[in-house]
Amino acid sequence: MESNDVEEEEFGFSRNYFLAKEVRSSGKKGARKLSQINIVDEQELREACSNIEPKHENEIIILVNSYKNSYSEWVYVLRCGFGLLMYGFGSKKALIEDFASTALTDYSVVVINGYLQTINLKQVAITLAELLWDQLKTQWKGASGNKQQPFNTRSMDDLITFLDGPHSENDDTFVCVIVNNIDGPGLRDSETQQYLARIAACSHIRMVASVDHVNALLLWDKKMVHTQFNWYWFHVPTYAPYKVEGMFFPLILAHNGSGQSVKTASIVLQSLTVNAQKIFKVLADRQLANPDEEGMPFNNLYEECKVLFIASNEITLNSHLTEFKDHELVKTRRNSDNEDCLYIPLTSEALEKLVQEMSQES
Amino acid sequence: MALDESPSPPLSSVENNFQPFFVLHKASPPRKSAAKTRRRIELSPNAVEDSPEGYNENLRFETFKFLWSRNESTIKEVLKNNNAEVFDKIDKWISESFNSICAYGKLDYISATRPYPHLDKASISTSVASHQIFTALLCTKNMEFVDDILTFVDLGAHLRSRGRYVANLTSLDFTAKNGVGGCLKSLVRQFLMVGIDAPDISILASWYTEQGNTGNPMIVIIDDTERCCGAVLTDFIIMLREWFIKIPIILILGVATTDGLRNNLSSNACSYLSLCEFTLGTPAKRMDAVIEAVLMNKSYSFGIGKQVSVFLRNYFLRHDGTLTFFVRALKIAMVQHVYMEPLSFTLKKLVQEEETEGIGGGSTLGKNLVKRALELPSPMRSCQSRENRNDYAHGLSELKRLRKLWSSMVMCLYEVGKYHKITLLDLYCDMLEPVPCDSRASDHLQLSKDNSISSYNRHLLGCFQNGGWVNRAIQIVRDMPAVELCKLLKSWEMLTSGINEIHDKVMELQSLEIHEENRQKQGMTDISKRSTARNNFSDKMDETKIKAKVATFLECMVRECMQPTESMPSNEIFLFNNVDKLQAALTGDPRRRIQTDLLESQKFLKCSCCSKSSGVLSPSMHDTSIMYSLAQEHGDLINLHEWFHSFKEIVSQPRTQAKQRLRLSPSPKKRKACQQPQNQNESSMQARFCRAITELQIAGLLRMPSKRRPDYVQRVAFGL
Repeated sequence: MESNDVEEEEFGFSRNYFLAKEVRSSGKKGARKLSQINIVDEQELREACSNIEPKHENEIIILVNSYKNSYSEWVYVLRCGFGLLMYGFGSKKALIEDFASTALTDYSVVVINGYLQTINLKQVAITLAELLWDQLKTQWKGASGNKQQPFNTRSMDDLITFLDGPHSENDDTFVCVIVNNIDGPGLRDSETQQYLARIAACSHIRMVASVDHVNALLLWDKKMVHTQFNWYWFHVPTYAPYKVEGMFFPLILAHNGSGQSVKTASIVLQSLTVNAQKIFKVLADRQLANPDEEGMPFNNLYEECKVLFIASNEITLNSHLTEFKDHELVKTRRNSDNEDCLYIPLTSEALEKLVQEMSQES
Repeated sequence: MALDESPSPPLSSVENNFQPFFVLHKASPPRKSAAKTRRRIELSPNAVEDSPEGYNENLRFETFKFLWSRNESTIKEVLKNNNAEVFDKIDKWISESFNSICAYGKLDYISATRPYPHLDKASISTSVASHQIFTALLCTKNMEFVDDILTFVDLGAHLRSRGRYVANLTSLDFTAKNGVGGCLKSLVRQFLMVGIDAPDISILASWYTEQGNTGNPMIVIIDDTERCCGAVLTDFIIMLREWFIKIPIILILGVATTDGLRNNLSSNACSYLSLCEFTLGTPAKRMDAVIEAVLMNKSYSFGIGKQVSVFLRNYFLRHDGTLTFFVRALKIAMVQHVYMEPLSFTLKKLVQEEETEGIGGGSTLGKNLVKRALELPSPMRSCQSRENRNDYAHGLSELKRLRKLWSSMVMCLYEVGKYHKITLLDLYCDMLEPVPCDSRASDHLQLSKDNSISSYNRHLLGCFQNGGWVNRAIQIVRDMPAVELCKLLKSWEMLTSGINEIHDKVMELQSLEIHEENRQKQGMTDISKRSTARNNFSDKMDETKIKAKVATFLECMVRECMQPTESMPSNEIFLFNNVDKLQAALTGDPRRRIQTDLLESQKFLKCSCCSKSSGVLSPSMHDTSIMYSLAQEHGDLINLHEWFHSFKEIVSQPRTQAKQRLRLSPSPKKRKACQQPQNQNESSMQARFCRAITELQIAGLLRMPSKRRPDYVQRVAFGL
């Protein structure tokens, strides 16, 4: 403990030192800009990203293999009724899935990928219930034919009651849920965490999860940690690259994400009608011609569209605009005359590129 | 360590990586595969290395299950008994309240089954307006709610066993999102046993009348009321009041303090409640009861050692403060103990033996088990030389005897301290302190570094002279009034029953005391007032004599019987003392550990190429590791441009140059490299930079540039 204190102290010291330095340097306006780096093309950058030469490949394999010795302990802990929580730097996806497919063959295993954006827990619960039902059926073979109504019509509460029910004498019958990145974007909201906790607390469910965020603990209150998830922590750094997990993060050097938004904008525009595209073009041209203006008031846009025979009445125009706003292609703000103005939330550079792309396609 | 030929193959296809969820595999048919897996695990070289004893996994699991199920049921029982008194009071109050509800009169069938509240003018003007919902406020006296979840479940079960209709709601049923519908849904679910999507309170009303349930009130228990959404709870109460005549609902609200409710509810709703307060026992009291039941009364079973108990005490007092945490810690300790201590399986035998005492008697250890136990690098040092089954069994029963003696003495001391606010947890920690008693302990002293000679003296002083608890207890006994001393001796008699050594002496002391008392009483009646003063004096003399005797007895007993548990032979079978492992599993420490992973990656990767001394960066290190080490040199904000360049500088150092620089300057960033590709082109450098930043972002160590400061990222974690 003493050494920790010393470390902490040193840390505090160095932090203060650099903070002081920073305060001094930030006074100067000469702070260097990201744009001064000669950033390569995004396409090239993405390609390079997928071809990064791995470091310490052998050492990582040895490290990950060394965890195989613990598989039996992990199974034992899981059977004792705990949830396993794996943490430490590096992607743990492959490790946990390898553990499940070698050591948990007696149990059905469902994997949830928490690093994805949207996860429907109800579907997961239905699958879990079906798997448990299968497992129980094989146990009851020959016993009275229990009929079960289809799970997909049941409510979440019913499903959880089923998973928690005392179905078998043998409390070693369970379905294992693996949650990659239980602190991931798709699972981070508190309602989802509550549902996960309730699922984890079921008698026929065991959970193995991984966390990567240093503050992951803040997701749960004491009730969830102590009585529902019942975590048993394992520190398993793997140093494996976060390939899949990091896929949805924007690259920091990719032109501040403008490339990305041009691409998404052009995809959205393609899916719209020709007239809608034309309306967007009117707005874009106007914005490019007058970059300093706040935007285009609705009436001006309507007049112009009427002249070009794009929109015959305000209602049609409005319906197109609503669609744009829904996709965040167009936003409104007030100008100096307190008039609502429409504008496209892209830099002129990006907008030009978008207009080019649009004209190429048409 | 054996390195597998190939890294584990990609298990899930690329498609699976982008499925929100997928079934990895289904359970293989039960028996056959179970045996297969087990065999596979046992046969794989690594697994055998891991458990050199070849200690069967099922045996482990069965042992744990057996031991823990006993502990668990004991704890449940203790907590239930702890609350029994309050529960009975509540039940009585419910009966009274229901009677007064019934006194308002009964509705005829037609008006009772109408799907709206019973609100005719007459009743509004007279009685209903003054109606309040009978509400019990159950004060938990505990900041943390987690300890009381079970209490409310128990309360529900208790009331159900008395034939009440009970529904347990939690704060999750009262969210702003679901509104009153949420709690109604849950109510209907629990009372009617059906799930209805859009429930209506009239359903409840018709259920109540149709079933002929009118002989019993409906009890709604809401635990953790302070965390409910106030507006929803208010609506709920107003609604219940409207339906008061048709549905006689009685509320039981769990609160930490009585003020909490008033803060949460509107005054309007508050005025609709007729409150009655009940209070649960304090957490400390509950803790003592659990420790007594689990660690003291079951001294023949699993226990925790000094370090672990001190850790748990400190964590309980300073961090968590919940019994739930403590129980969970005990469970994890048992899991680890059974996993690591090969001889822990004998605990199961011992417990069984204890439970069926008189039937089996003696040792019932199987031949194979003993053989295995003796072949193992046994912790039973005292039995090591004697490879005899009987001796082994004898050693165990001796150990059991000593443990019993120890725990009953601790309980005796606790009994003394009851009037002086000492908790059993403190006492347990104190009394585990190794106090060497005889030569047998000497080799243990040498073995463990803590118990050096100096600590030998310190402990002796601490326990017997320098204000240790024993010393204080003796003093307390000396100053104790005779009545209390009598009570104390009586409780000692109970505590020591079954342990002949102490019990006889306690009885002897007690008879002395009783004799003395009788004599005094007789004296009081016989002797005239004149001589009372002198007699009182001699009585006092006798009383102090007896007290001195009791004190001496206590001192002797502590010296003779309280062999510190950790120096008992083969105590490792019972005691778990690996505090580091427990702490790691119990609390984890992602904040610190993930940062250490990055800053000291060499320690984990054990590569030959990166520098051994920490703090020096070499290009061969893990990219993210380099980046995070560099980030340490910045303040709250990191300029991306500078960061990128210092990263580039480190990574692109060729081997020779690095060496040269190392020689030339003591600058920390230069170090030898291995396999450094000479031509790092720009794009791959940028890609590596991007990936490292993404990884730091996943680890939560960075916040991305904001619109205001597009060239800076923000550091999130400072210090380990």
